[in-house]
Amino acid sequence: MSGRKETVLDLAKFVDKGVQVKLTGGRQVTGTLKGYDQLLNLVLDEAVEFLRDQDDPLKTTDQTRRLGLIVCRGTAVMLVSPTDGTDEIANPFIQPDGA
Amino acid sequence: MLPLSLLKTAQGHPMVRTFTFPRMPLHMLVELKNGETYNGHLVNCDTWMNIHLREVICTSKDGDRFWRMPECYIRGNTIKYLRVPDEVIDKVQEETKSRADRKPPGVGRGRGRAREDGPGGRQPKGAGRGLDDSARTTSGGRGRGGSGGKNTGGRGSGRGRG
Amino acid sequence: MSTGPGLESLVDQTISVITNDGRNIVGVLKGFDQATNIILDESHERVYSTKEGVQQLVLGLYIIRGDNISVVGELDEELDSALDLSNLRAHPLKPVIH
Repeated sequence: MSGRKETVLDLAKFVDKGVQVKLTGGRQVTGTLKGYDQLLNLVLDEAVEFLRDQDDPLKTTDQTRRLGLIVCRGTAVMLVSPTDGTDEIANPFIQPDGA
Repeated sequence: MLPLSLLKTAQGHPMVRTFTFPRMPLHMLVELKNGETYNGHLVNCDTWMNIHLREVICTSKDGDRFWRMPECYIRGNTIKYLRVPDEVIDKVQEETKSRADRKPPGVGRGRGRAREDGPGGRQPKGAGRGLDDSARTTSGGRGRGGSGGKNTGGRGSGRGRG
Repeated sequence: MSTGPGLESLVDQTISVITNDGRNIVGVLKGFDQATNIILDESHERVYSTKEGVQQLVLGLYIIRGDNISVVGELDEELDSALDLSNLRAHPLKPVIH
């Protein structure tokens, strides 16, 4: 069920681990991945949402709110990454990343 | 050339030989619709442009905050553009050319029909390639043929690419 | 000249693309698909401003997603090379609002 061939990322390795999820519209949530399906619907336990800037809803702040056990709708999931090893760092580019 | 073939080549050739990093996966830049950029090595991608990156550096929209993450999965439809290393385009051309050279005339159609009939379990490995090529050279069914080959061709076409 | 439907006739030609976020990218069209995702080679972005001339940022090889593209146009290289971009002032485009 869970290991569909066409998924690019095998979420199995993230089960029971902390993941960070960014959703369309700008919400950002972290939690423990408890389950998922091939449509990328996710079940997160002990989920915490990062609250966003009043003026710029695309900017997250360090303020959080506890959500508990949640389901993230797959269609709204933009990005999934493990929280383990994810850290904010100083500018790693020599020049600001104008790309 | 299809954009997804280029992307697939960037993934299918995971190793770019450079002096300092003889076998370093391709480094790409992805900008999302929300303005965030992700710099990382392309591990995998699919027909929806969903991508899996490793050793990622995420930059906020304003370019003032940075995060390092070991890997991340990005949904294709949130992507604005991808910046691909220049050398990849030559690799695609090499591949298409060498595959075209190997293709005997008429192979595409014959194999294509065979594929519809059965589950395709006993096709030779080359089938995916032949089909792919014919899909590439005819103008009308191009995209469709390509992606169909990818989905149904299963193993054969996957190897052809990788 | 351009014949046939779609972008086929523009392949290997220099094109100018305007994206939904208001950028203008110029490059050689190397490929496209049904979703208007496009491959641009040797591309550069032209940044317009009212205060200074047009800045050109080198981008290189790009895949631009179709749903982020507003306009694709053929670029007349002769006319274009006659332009004095460094003395051209223009308002930057605003992004598309959905």
